Amino acid sequence: MSKLCFVTTGATAPFTKLIEAVLSHASLDAFLQCGFTHILIQYGTAPDVYQSSAEAARQYLKQNGTEQKLEIDGIDFDSSGLFEQFKLVQQTQGLVISHAGSGSVLEALRFQLPLVVVPNTALLDNHQEELAVAMDRAGYVIHGNVDHLAPAIKDSERFRTQMAQFPPVTAGKERKVKSFANIMDETVGFTDFNNE
Amino acid sequence: MAPPPPAALYTPTFLLALLTTLLLSATLRLLAILPHRASPPQPRKPGAPTRVVIVLGSGGHTQEMLYLLKDLDARKYTHRTWVVSSGDAFSAVRAVGFEKALEEGEGEAKGRRVGPESYDIAIVPRARKIHQSLVTTPVSSLKCLWACFGPLLRSTSLSSSSSTAAEDLPDLIIANGPATACILILAALILKFFDVRGAHSRGKCRTIYAESFARVKTLSLSGKLLVPVVDRFLVQWEGLEGAGGRAEFWGVLV
Repeated sequence: MSKLCFVTTGATAPFTKLIEAVLSHASLDAFLQCGFTHILIQYGTAPDVYQSSAEAARQYLKQNGTEQKLEIDGIDFDSSGLFEQFKLVQQTQGLVISHAGSGSVLEALRFQLPLVVVPNTALLDNHQEELAVAMDRAGYVIHGNVDHLAPAIKDSERFRTQMAQFPPVTAGKERKVKSFANIMDETVGFTDFNNE
Repeated sequence: MAPPPPAALYTPTFLLALLTTLLLSATLRLLAILPHRASPPQPRKPGAPTRVVIVLGSGGHTQEMLYLLKDLDARKYTHRTWVVSSGDAFSAVRAVGFEKALEEGEGEAKGRRVGPESYDIAIVPRARKIHQSLVTTPVSSLKCLWACFGPLLRSTSLSSSSSTAAEDLPDLIIANGPATACILILAALILKFFDVRGAHSRGKCRTIYAESFARVKTLSLSGKLLVPVVDRFLVQWEGLEGAGGRAEFWGVLV
């Protein structure tokens, strides 16, 4: 049975550290331990880093006689979205490892996929880190970091069964919630939004 | 030849008085159009001509905007104007895709205004390109401001069969950043300030700004600029509730 881990590094800023972290020895061991059979990396603007890291990773697997068990592939950035990849992860009960861009994170969460979010700390604006921490605290994702990715990969198996549903059914238990459509209706005067 | 105006008009005192009067009346006008004084909207029924202007920022902003609009009711919002920055093909394609999905979905529901007659895509020049020098930014921002009046005054693709909504000012403007959103909302404020085509007196051009889901603890620059002037300012993390004195939190919206 196959099991896919899909890794997306974002389209604009290169995130080579994430590629290297995913293909590090510790991470490869974690993938094997959790029964993953495929790693698919969307390398974005860093095909060179991907090529060399993938080569080194295959060498490492070969040394341990596990090159048959774990296959590593890469794809370029695809502007039409990540629908196909997320579908595959869903079918194989796999895992997504993503940079902390809100686009990819939200899309993965729509598929109810276990998700490790890794902020790109090299970016000047550090609100990626804030988002990852807050999402982790709310139980939507696992906050991973590039220096220490293997524990997050191992944790994803437990997380699969415990992850919080997104978007939350009710954001807070006691407070009133409204959808964006409700707020639009209020603002322009469609007052009867409850009896459609 | 007309006689020159009395020299007395050019005294510093007179100029000062003139300036003070102008400043005072402008301030009063601004206070009158700002959101805390906005009258509640007139009740309206689905099917009433209602135009909404949607500003698509770029990549991540566009994606979030489409998530915000996932339950958009085409019976209520009878005409949609999508504002896209020039060169942002991604957003334009996504807007068309959204409209196509509206057209195909729920075909049986009556009164849904879908199809090419019910939306238009307006392209405005970028306020500031990436890496553009700060010196020329004011010029490109002014060009963008000027272009923003177009889609605000009426739909940009009018034909003989266009609806009343398409020919009128928008009832609602929705934005979630970045620069183009600020400039379009500034353009809407100018229309309200001078009450162009009844922008203020008819309660048109109401504005909603939704802060990005990615902002957890602090507002974005666009958010900080817009918080005092939009009708509704929405945040998506509880920690930001009340930011800028009036941010509303109603749960996750995307």
